[in-house]
Amino acid sequence: MNFKGTLPTLILEFLAQEPSHGYRIAQKIKERSEGVLDFKEGTLYPALHKLESEGMVESYESVENGRSRRHYRITRSGRRMLANDRTEWRQISRAVTTILGEA
Amino acid sequence: MGDLEIWLRNATRGLAADSAAQVRREIGEHYESAREAAIAGGCPADEAGRVAMKALGDAKTANGHYRQVLLTSGEARLLREGKWEARAICSRPWLKWLIVAVPVMLVEMAAVVYFRGRIGLARDLLLAGIGMSPLFAAMLLPINTPLRGRIFRYGKWVAMTSAFVMLLGPEALKWSWLLMTCLWMMARTDWTRASIRRKLPVSEWPRHLYL
Repeated sequence: MNFKGTLPTLILEFLAQEPSHGYRIAQKIKERSEGVLDFKEGTLYPALHKLESEGMVESYESVENGRSRRHYRITRSGRRMLANDRTEWRQISRAVTTILGEA
Repeated sequence: MGDLEIWLRNATRGLAADSAAQVRREIGEHYESAREAAIAGGCPADEAGRVAMKALGDAKTANGHYRQVLLTSGEARLLREGKWEARAICSRPWLKWLIVAVPVMLVEMAAVVYFRGRIGLARDLLLAGIGMSPLFAAMLLPINTPLRGRIFRYGKWVAMTSAFVMLLGPEALKWSWLLMTCLWMMARTDWTRASIRRKLPVSEWPRHLYL
C-alpha cells in the first residue's frame, strides 16, 4: 500500500535524520511503517530526482562497504518544506480521523 | 538477457543517454543491495534475485515516472541544438545584428510605404515587424531570471498572435489553420522547453531556456 503524494515527505523525514542512499531510504520506510508502506524502487528514485531538481535534497558520491554509492542529504529548503508538510499532514489526518470517527 | 537488463531497457526507454546511465547505475546498485540483503537473510541466490526484481516494480510505470523527472532524448537534443544555435549566432556579431535588423527594417519599410500612400501595405508591414520583434529582440534583452523569462514568453505569444489576427482582420478565424500551422513548431519547442525547465534546476538553465 502507498498513499499518493506522501513519498517526498517521507523521504525528507528520513533524510532530516541523516544522509542516506536510495536503498536504505526504501528499507527504512518499509520497516518503520511495519510493511504497510512499500514504495517500489521505480517510484522512489524518480521522487528523489524531483526533490533534487527542486533543491530540496542534494546528492554526493560516497564509498560505503567498498562500494561507491550516491547519497542524498536534505537542504535548508527541504527542511522548510518538511516542516510545512508536517503541519499540513497533521491537519489532514485530524480532519479525516474526525470524519471517519463520526461515520 | 537477464531479467534486470530487460527491466532496465523498458525503464530507460526514450530517456537521454546521461539519464539512462544514471538510472542504470542507481537501479543496479539498489538491485545488488537488495539481493545481498536477501541472501544474508537466508534466501537462496535464485530466490534472492527474484525478490530484488519484484521490489523494482513495473518497468513501464517506472519509465513514466522517470520521464517526468529526467531528460528524454528529445529534450536533450533540444538543449544541445539550442546551445549550438546560441554559439553560432553570438560568435558572429554581424549575424547577430543582421537578425536584429529584420523587424527594424520591416518597420522602416512600413514608414516608407506609408508616405507613398499605400496605407494598407504599411499597416501589414508594421504588424509583421511587431509580430516578429520578440523573436529577434530576445537576444538583446536582459532575460536572465525565471520571472523575466515568463513575462517575455507571455509577451511573445501575445505579440505574435495579435499581429497575426490583426493582419487577417475579420478573416482571422477562417485562416486560423494557417496560424496554427505557422506556430506549431514554435509551440512544440516552447512545450519541450517548459518540460526541461521543470526538470533542471534554475542554476543549470542555459540562456535559451528562459526564452
